[in-house]
Amino acid sequence: MPESTIPSQVKSPKIAIIGNPNVGKSTIFNQLTGLNQKIGNYPGVTVDKRTGSMEYHGSNYEIIDLPGTYSLYPNSEDEIIAHRVLNQLSEDEKPDFVLMVIDSCQLSRGLFLATQLIDLGLNLALVLNMADIATRKNIAIKTFEIFKALGVPILSTDARGEKGLDQIRELIHQQNFSKKSSFITIEEVVSGTLLNEVKEKFEFTNSYQAYQMLRFGEKDKSISLESRSWIKAKLEENKFDLEKAQLEETKIRYRIITSIVEKAVVKTPDVKKESGIDKILLHPVFGYLIFGGILLIIFQAIFAWASVPMDLIDGFFAELAGSVSDLLPSGPLSSLITEGIIPGIGGVVIFIPQIAMLFGFLAILEDTGYMSRVVFLMDRWMRPFGLHGKSIVPLVSGVACAIPGVMAARNIGNWKEKIITIMVTPLMSCSARLPVYVILIGLVVPNELVLGFVNLQALALLSLYLLGVIGVLFTALLLKNILKTEEKSFLMVELPTYRAPRWLDVLMTMYNKSKTFVFEAGKVILAISVILWVLASYGPPERMDAIRAESEVKLSQASPEEIPAIENETSSLLLENSFIGIMGRAIEPVIRPLGYDWKIGIALIASFAAREVFVSTIATIYSIGADTEDELTIRQKLNQQINPTTGDKVYNKATAFSLMVFYAFAMQCMSTVAVVYRETKGWKWPLIQTAYMTVLAYFSALLVYQILS
Amino acid sequence: MLITADSIPVTRAAIIQEILDSPLKINLMELGFLPGKTITLHHSAPMGGPMAFKLDETILALRKTEASLIEVQLL
Repeated sequence: MPESTIPSQVKSPKIAIIGNPNVGKSTIFNQLTGLNQKIGNYPGVTVDKRTGSMEYHGSNYEIIDLPGTYSLYPNSEDEIIAHRVLNQLSEDEKPDFVLMVIDSCQLSRGLFLATQLIDLGLNLALVLNMADIATRKNIAIKTFEIFKALGVPILSTDARGEKGLDQIRELIHQQNFSKKSSFITIEEVVSGTLLNEVKEKFEFTNSYQAYQMLRFGEKDKSISLESRSWIKAKLEENKFDLEKAQLEETKIRYRIITSIVEKAVVKTPDVKKESGIDKILLHPVFGYLIFGGILLIIFQAIFAWASVPMDLIDGFFAELAGSVSDLLPSGPLSSLITEGIIPGIGGVVIFIPQIAMLFGFLAILEDTGYMSRVVFLMDRWMRPFGLHGKSIVPLVSGVACAIPGVMAARNIGNWKEKIITIMVTPLMSCSARLPVYVILIGLVVPNELVLGFVNLQALALLSLYLLGVIGVLFTALLLKNILKTEEKSFLMVELPTYRAPRWLDVLMTMYNKSKTFVFEAGKVILAISVILWVLASYGPPERMDAIRAESEVKLSQASPEEIPAIENETSSLLLENSFIGIMGRAIEPVIRPLGYDWKIGIALIASFAAREVFVSTIATIYSIGADTEDELTIRQKLNQQINPTTGDKVYNKATAFSLMVFYAFAMQCMSTVAVVYRETKGWKWPLIQTAYMTVLAYFSALLVYQILS
Repeated sequence: MLITADSIPVTRAAIIQEILDSPLKINLMELGFLPGKTITLHHSAPMGGPMAFKLDETILALRKTEASLIEVQLL
C-alpha cells in the first residue's frame, strides 16, 4: 500500500449518496459515518449539508448525504442541491464517486434517476436497499440483468437490519464504481450542434450535462448573469421547446427502463395486509381521532419529560453564574459574564430538551410512515387557509415550541405555503406562554366549576389556546390574499409502507436538529441577551449611584432579618432607573390604553427576549426577589398593587385579560426571530413578522381592555 | 370509457392512458405515473381531500386536481 505512507497528503475520496425519498439513504449514511458527521449549509438555501467521514481499513472517505430526489429536474430547494452537486456545478462539492440507493420495491422509479446519473458520466454504483421488504412482498430481483443493462456495480442490502453494509464499505474501499458512456442518446431530443455549443461555452465534455445546463441553467442563480443570458439567447435562437424535450426524455428513459425491469423482476402476487392499517388510520372519523390522541400523548410526554432536564439546565446555569461570580473580582466584567453571557447561553440551551424531544417524536412519526398519512388527512383542511398538508407538522410543534416548528417548515416545497407556515407558527400557544397565563388566570379567574364540571380557570386557559389557533387561521388567510407566487401548489406524497422506526436515525435527527439550533440561532439569541442585559443593568450613572449609596447606608443600619427586603427593594429601584426602566416609562402613554402601567411596560420590554422572563421581571419590579419560584407569592404581590391615581387594583380583570391576549399574540421570543431569520435567509420576514405580531397583540389587547373595563 | 383518475371508485383499478398537459406533467411522470401502468384507488380523504393511489408497490397521494390530469381506462 504505497498511499498509506503519506496518508495526510492524500485527499480522501468524496462519495455522494443519492436516492429517492424514503429509500433508507440516511440510514446508510448514518451507519457508514456514525457520529463523525457535520452539518453545514449550502450557500443561499436552507438545505442542510450533511457530510461525514468513514474510516475503513486505515483509509478515510468523505461521505456526502444529498437530499432525496426523484430526478435531476430541480423542483424544490432540496432537488436544486442534488442537481447542482451532481452536475458538478459547484467546484468544492464535486464528488469523486456516487452511490445511488434504490428501493428494491420501486425499481423503475429508482432506475429513472440512476440512468440520469449514468448519462451525466458519473462514477456510479447502485445499492438495492430494503431487500427484506421486497422478499416479504414476493418480489425477486435478478441483479445480474440490471448489471447487464446498465453496466454499473450493484449491491443488495437491507440497511435497517444492517445487512450488506460491510459490502458497501468494501465497495467504497475498492473504489468499485464505474462510468458508462451513456444510457439514452440525448441527441434524440436536443440538436447535437446546440449541445456542442453549450459544451464549448461551459467546457463540458458530457452531452447530458450540456442538456441539463440548457434546460435549467437560465434559472440557476449560481450561474453568472452573462451565461444565463447566453443560454436564454441560444434557446430563443433555436426555438427550442424545453418542456417538450424534457417530456420526450422522460418517455424514452422510462421505455427502456420498463423493458429492463420486465426482465429483472419476478413478482409473485400476494395478499396485501397494508390497507388494513390504513382503513383505521385514514378513516374519516377515527383517523382524526387517532391523530388527536397521538398528539395528546406527545405533548403529555414533552411537558412531563422536558421539564426535568429544563430545570436541571436552569439550575446548572444559575449555579455556574454563582460560582463564576465568586471567582471573578466583582465589576462590570464579572456581571457581564454572570448576568449577561451565562444566562444568555442558558437561554439557548434551555430549549434543547423540547427541540430534541419534539424532533424525536416527529422522526418516529416520519419513519414509521405515519406522518405522510397525517399530511394526507389534513391537506383538505389546510388548503383553504393558504397552507399545505405539510404545514400541520410545524403548527402542531408550535404548541410545544415555535422553534422546532419553524425549522420543520422547510419540508414544504412551495415558497408561499412555506412562508405562510413560518409566519403563523409562532402564534400557536407555546409552552413558554404557560407560566404567564397561569399566573394571570390564577389572579383574576375564580377557581370555580360551571355547569357542575367545567373548571373556569381551565376554560380560560383553553380559550387562550383557541385564540392562538384563531390567530393562526386569520393570519394565514390574510397572507394567502397578500402574497403572490407563480408556483403552483401541489401535493404529491408517498405513503410509505408502515414499519418500525430506526432508532439510530431518530437519535441522529434529535442530535443534529439541536446542534443546528444551538450554533445557528444561538449567536443571535446571545447577542440580544447581552444587549438586554446592558439595558437592564445600566442607567444614568448619577441616579444608579445614588440608589446604590442609599442602599449601602440602609444596609449598614439594618438588622439581619431586614437585609433581604432592602436588597430586593434596591434591585427593584435599580431596574426602575435602568435604561429599560426609562424605556418602560417612555412607552407608558402608548400602553396606558391597554391598561398597563410603566412597571408592566418594563416587563414587556424585558420579556422581548423570551416571554417567560415576564414572570421574573415582574418579581424583581415588585421587589419579591427574582429567585422566587413560588407563583403564590407573586400572585399575592400582584393582587396588592394599587393604582396610585384611581385607588383601584392594577391587576383587575381587564388588565389581566388584556395582558394574556397581548402575550398570546406578541412575538416576545428572540429565539423564534433568530430561527425565522435562519430559515428565510434574511431579516425581511422576521422583521415583518415581529412588527405584525406586535401590532396584532397591541390592538387585540386594546380591544379586550376597552370591552372589559 | 375514458375518465380521469379523480373519478376512479375506491379499490377499482384502472390503466393510465395519458397524462394531460400541465406544468405538473413531469412531476407525475417522474413519480411513475406513466401510460400503460395500472393504478388502484387505495383511499380517499374525506370532503374532497387528497386521493391515495396504489402504483406498482407504492401508495402515492395526490390532490383531486392532480389526479384529474391522469386519464385512465377503468378495468
